[in-house]
Amino acid sequence: MLEFSVFRALSDPTRRAVFERLCGHEMTVSALKAGFTISQPAISQHLAALRSAGLVHERRQGRFCYYRADPRGLTPLAKWVDRYRVFWPERLEKLKTVLKEMDP
Amino acid sequence: MTRQSQPATPVIVECDLSEPPGKVWKALTVPELLARWLTPNDIRPEVGSRFRVEPDIECEVLEAEPNRRLRLSWRERQEDSEDCQESRGDFPESFVESIVTFELTETLTGGTHLRLVHEGFEVVEAGAAPTQLLMAA
Repeated sequence: MLEFSVFRALSDPTRRAVFERLCGHEMTVSALKAGFTISQPAISQHLAALRSAGLVHERRQGRFCYYRADPRGLTPLAKWVDRYRVFWPERLEKLKTVLKEMDP
Repeated sequence: MTRQSQPATPVIVECDLSEPPGKVWKALTVPELLARWLTPNDIRPEVGSRFRVEPDIECEVLEAEPNRRLRLSWRERQEDSEDCQESRGDFPESFVESIVTFELTETLTGGTHLRLVHEGFEVVEAGAAPTQLLMAA
């Protein structure tokens, strides 16, 4: 379920840009908005999607909310790519067998 | 944790084969042979040839230099498992696009050094331009 939402959340270019701006920077929505042409409610909507996917962390302090990217949220993507670290060696072992069985 | 946050790290597998590059090339590009180690397919070793690996993966030949180099685009649809249907919300269908390259080099003993690189993973919304998976450090 989490993997699913991570892929969906990052497939939108604007949402992806919001996520990237929050990598290594903690910001309020209004600070974040400065880099975008879209409205603050639109930014908030993207933040909500990123939060529900576990990609962005929210911290409340007084009447402000600070957001930052949570790199741990990317773990499902890393696991997805890691499947191929198993897939290809297995397939290449099969390829070796096929090569042995081929006519010269 | 840092390593886990870099899923765009390419997958690289290398091996030495005793068969010459010409024979390995056949195993990569002749449909009946490719079917025996990867997937049933209708590959043609020419740019633009498309085939499927498993129901959810579509491939296209991007480069085909006989006995040297085969480059494929590898586009995998994100499967929605049943318990995900409800959480789909307003997110459209997405794909992960990547590139698979096979490089063949003749070894001193007449065999082949095979280097496989699977890289450039990008999340793509159906119908939208790809966004490179830039990962947080």
